[in-house]
Amino acid sequence: MNVQFVAAVEEIPEGQRKIVQVGKRSVGIFNIRGKYYALLNYCPHYGAELCKGLVSGTTMESHVYEFIYGKDQEIIRCPWHGWEFDIKTGCSLFDEQVKAKRFEVIVQDGQIGLILGAQSKRE
Amino acid sequence: MTKQPINIIDCDVHNSLRSHMDLVPYMPDAMKRRLIESGTGALYSGYYSPVGVPRKDATPPGGGPAGSDPGFLVEQLIDQHRIDYCLLTGSMYDASSGHDADYAAAIISAYNDFMLDHWIGKHHSFKGTIAVSTLDPHLAAREIDRMGPHPDMVAVIMSSAARMPYGQRFYHPIYEAAERQGLPVMIHPGTEGAGSTNGPTAAGYPSYYLEWHTCLSQNFMAHLVSLVCEGVFEKYPNLKFVLVEGGVAWLPHLMWRLDKNYKALRAQVPWLKKLPSQYIREHCYLTTQPIEEPERPGDLITLFNMIDAENMLLFSSDYPHWDFDDPHAILKAMPAEMKRKIYYENAKQLFKL
Ligand code: FES
Repeated sequence: MNVQFVAAVEEIPEGQRKIVQVGKRSVGIFNIRGKYYALLNYCPHYGAELCKGLVSGTTMESHVYEFIYGKDQEIIRCPWHGWEFDIKTGCSLFDEQVKAKRFEVIVQDGQIGLILGAQSKRE
Repeated sequence: MTKQPINIIDCDVHNSLRSHMDLVPYMPDAMKRRLIESGTGALYSGYYSPVGVPRKDATPPGGGPAGSDPGFLVEQLIDQHRIDYCLLTGSMYDASSGHDADYAAAIISAYNDFMLDHWIGKHHSFKGTIAVSTLDPHLAAREIDRMGPHPDMVAVIMSSAARMPYGQRFYHPIYEAAERQGLPVMIHPGTEGAGSTNGPTAAGYPSYYLEWHTCLSQNFMAHLVSLVCEGVFEKYPNLKFVLVEGGVAWLPHLMWRLDKNYKALRAQVPWLKKLPSQYIREHCYLTTQPIEEPERPGDLITLFNMIDAENMLLFSSDYPHWDFDDPHAILKAMPAEMKRKIYYENAKQLFKL
């Protein structure tokens, strides 16, 4: 298991993110309610720096003319064309097959580590 | 983003004012107070977009709206994407959505002067477009004659949101002046459904920005049919017309349907001497952004081939707006020769660059 430690937990308080460089890759680390998640800072649409986008919640699937707010802090919106991605899974909201690459994250001794190499599993 | 060496002319780049106060020194004294108190007079449709209009990473580091800092625009667009020339389209054509023809004409003249002072000459890639208000075409013609002789002004630009279809004789003074100055006329969306303009879709006012934005093409279709049928290109045989940001994939349908109808109904427009699609091919250009993205990218190329689009399309990025197209990321399936024309050659000839 190839683990790269990239930040101390205090550096990324709840609701915040940090973009780190891991070799050639730029990766965004997000703290959602005390848990850490990581996405490649590269949008699968046209390659914009996805992790610099707005983090928020969004409207969940609903009936016609019904608006249900959900996934608070869990959605990142690409700063270019506005595609929404679920930070926890990397999946876009319009098609599960369209995904931002995500990395497994571990926390050890107050350090946040990314598990690199092997394809990370979906949640 | 693989970057092949290719020459690029970007035909739609939105430079912006830092604030409407930038225009105060250029306004006639009688209208200064209105500008200071109330802004440019451009009205907007009010459709809310959850994505917002500017690209989120395009705010200049020194502050101000996206597109308001020439240095940062060069860094983020021109250098990063290796653009040879860009047409500065601004957004002051939006002033045509107001109600007051004299104020709209004055604000737009002030903007054209501001652009000359603060943008043109600041970078070798910058080319200007002369904004005009369509509320009084005679005033627009005067502005075209005033600015037209400047060597870095390469086109006229006006709003696609209008009170009536653009072929109608009310607008002909604009085309006469543009032809006299040897400048193509561009139309650009933005204020459809606002102020003095018509409803934003043929069916009326939709509920959501998603619908508003999708249906902008309808307006372009209606203007294009009008321009051809009212004989604008017979009356002004050297006029070229550029449809900016109105979509592309609808064009085959429109050409085929218009040609078919013309064969039966030509008696209504006896001044036309060719098939309508022929006028479109000879006089009209469409910019690529926001490029349609079919599931199979090759389908778009097939469609382009159906209508000889390689001679009618002009690349545009729409920087710094949310639906920006990266020249190196889009149209990957396009054959190199077609790309060379669409990204560079067509615009080079049209705008004499
Ligand atoms: S590059 Fe991210 S939505 Fe287009």
